[in-house]
Amino acid sequence: MRQGAQVSMSQTARPERTGAARAEGVEERELIERVRGHDLTAFERLYRLYQPRLTRFLSNVVQRPQVLEEVVDDTMMVVWDTAGNFRGASKLSTWIFSIAYRKALKARARWPDPVEEDPRDVRVSEEPAPDDHIQHERLHDALVAAMDSLSADHRAVVDLTYFHAMGYREIAEIMHCPVDTVKTRMFHARRRLREALGGTSADWL
Amino acid sequence: MAETRDPHEQAEELLPWYATGQLDDADRSIVEAHLAACARCQRQLAGERRMVDRFQSFSPEVDSGWVRMRQRIEAPQRPRQSWIGQTASDFRQLLKRPAIAALATAQVGLLAIAAAIAPSLGSAPAYVALGDRAQPSPSANVIILFRPEATEAAMRTALRQNGASLVGGPTDADAYLLSVPARQRSAALEKLRADREVIMAEPIDGAIQ
Repeated sequence: MRQGAQVSMSQTARPERTGAARAEGVEERELIERVRGHDLTAFERLYRLYQPRLTRFLSNVVQRPQVLEEVVDDTMMVVWDTAGNFRGASKLSTWIFSIAYRKALKARARWPDPVEEDPRDVRVSEEPAPDDHIQHERLHDALVAAMDSLSADHRAVVDLTYFHAMGYREIAEIMHCPVDTVKTRMFHARRRLREALGGTSADWL
Repeated sequence: MAETRDPHEQAEELLPWYATGQLDDADRSIVEAHLAACARCQRQLAGERRMVDRFQSFSPEVDSGWVRMRQRIEAPQRPRQSWIGQTASDFRQLLKRPAIAALATAQVGLLAIAAAIAPSLGSAPAYVALGDRAQPSPSANVIILFRPEATEAAMRTALRQNGASLVGGPTDADAYLLSVPARQRSAALEKLRADREVIMAEPIDGAIQ
């Protein structure tokens, strides 16, 4: 029973598996309705739901902390000001992330990211770690470094996929690109991550 | 046609979204049909799940961001560069909305008074430690204007009877800023407005509830 492909498939049958991957609930729909009426309490709730997700997502596109903060807030201001424009044709998250991505691209044009590191420099040490905690930290650092080795667009796709648990069609809508572009970016990003993670790839694969 | 593609490539490409449960039925069938026979993709799938877990393992702090956002909403007309870290300015902005609210709700006879107070609040000193953003309350949640002839004893009584404490003032227009327990504010406002010594008492909605 619990061997090989059977295990893989039964594990995959579980629905969404994380907080970020939760289905967009009735709550968000209700919140945006109230935000239309400039209900500040509803907007605070919406802000608290989205600020961490947007900060996280946009940090892949704009890397300057001050600019990042500004873009997140600018995005939420647009949500506050134009909530009436959201008609429910797409998911609320798609609408908000799409605003955020456009804002981020504009900000990036104004404030180019610092020069990206050579991915060869971010390969992590393969020395054995003294304990699990340090091992975990090392893997985390390796992941951050590996992400830094990717282009902004690749980072965005990776993070929208793994952290925000969005499907490739939704990502394509947010980034205004064909679905095949999303798939290709993800494919290449995974390969680059494997390369950059170097010594830890065994842990990944 | 998608079916003409190499099944391994096709499945491999979809694995991340399979791992997060974001594939539609057609895509999922493609992946599952291939997974059953491909040990490499099974290993990759395990790797994808680890990546998801790893990506989920940290999240940024949100509270400081929300305080910033709220101040921006309360002060839509303030230039962007100035809305960070200016306590006195924050205080003035906090009072702008209530001042407007006061204008809207005050009786006609009070409009002139409210109008006189509103601009003067701009020069009110920063009595309230709004700069302490980790703990934004308590702060003023009521603005009150007593009759010029009101005695100190009468004012004190009015405050005591309503559980109010003095947070700031007098402003240039001789208004005072009060802190009233949030749940009692409506009742307190009603009683204060009924008080002969009180010309105007209005909520300040900038206070964190």
